[in-house]
Amino acid sequence: MVKIKDKVEEELQAIFNNDAPWITIVWDDPVNLMSYVTYVLMELFGFNREKAHELMMKVHTEGKAVVSTGSREEMEHDVARLHEYGLWATLQRGDQTI
Amino acid sequence: MNEIQHGFFRHGDNAYLANFSDAEREVLTNLVEQIIELLAERVDHHNDDPLAAMVGITMHDTPPEDEVLLRLLPNAYADQVDASEFRRYTESTLRQKKLAHALAMRMHLQSAVDGIVEVDHDGANAWLGAMNDVRLALGVRLKVEQNSHEELELLAPDDPMRGVYAVYTWLGWLQESLISALMDESE
Repeated sequence: MVKIKDKVEEELQAIFNNDAPWITIVWDDPVNLMSYVTYVLMELFGFNREKAHELMMKVHTEGKAVVSTGSREEMEHDVARLHEYGLWATLQRGDQTI
Repeated sequence: MNEIQHGFFRHGDNAYLANFSDAEREVLTNLVEQIIELLAERVDHHNDDPLAAMVGITMHDTPPEDEVLLRLLPNAYADQVDASEFRRYTESTLRQKKLAHALAMRMHLQSAVDGIVEVDHDGANAWLGAMNDVRLALGVRLKVEQNSHEELELLAPDDPMRGVYAVYTWLGWLQESLISALMDESE
């Protein structure tokens, strides 16, 4: 029951707090080439090479990196585009533990 | 398969070329057709609601059971309820986009003149997406994990996976050559 109550509160909070940002996370994958991940981040998000490389290295060394922040709809769009190019990505509320 | 030495290279402002042997084109076509077939397996057979079909709502709200398809069409949320909801509304669009990459790659292979494939920037992106899907598929079958490359290098000569691994490695090299050619442009 406690779990349901928490879930309801979470939902209510989300309804009244539309500004709460959502995040897109890219996860490390043993198949995708490092250069490919960098290139896809540049193409999809318009990052310069340095920024894209930095994010790719974070994914590679830490297992994941937040690549974008915004509304739920925007993050769903970002995740769909990352999936189109085979990157392993998920979205979630920014205040949830990753 | 060692005949190409350069893979893709940039030619002018918006063209990327690669010279393939007949055998190489055959291997690439065969691989990309396997992706096309695999994606077709997931086609929605039971969607009788024409409006739902029109706006891309699929009957699939559970992830594919096949490991390869699951890697190509992954969950967007860790939460299963959210993941199902998202899949129901978006999976068919994702499949169509992946299919479009694969069909573009096959078309370029089939229309090659003297083995030379020529693509523009969009075509190059389609190739990268399609080649990556093939590598993801082979990677699942080869059980590629972090640091498993040393093990895969040591596969016995008669192990059928050795040939698969050779193709996987070659594709990675080909993909790398196209990325280098594209990155030159964005300097």
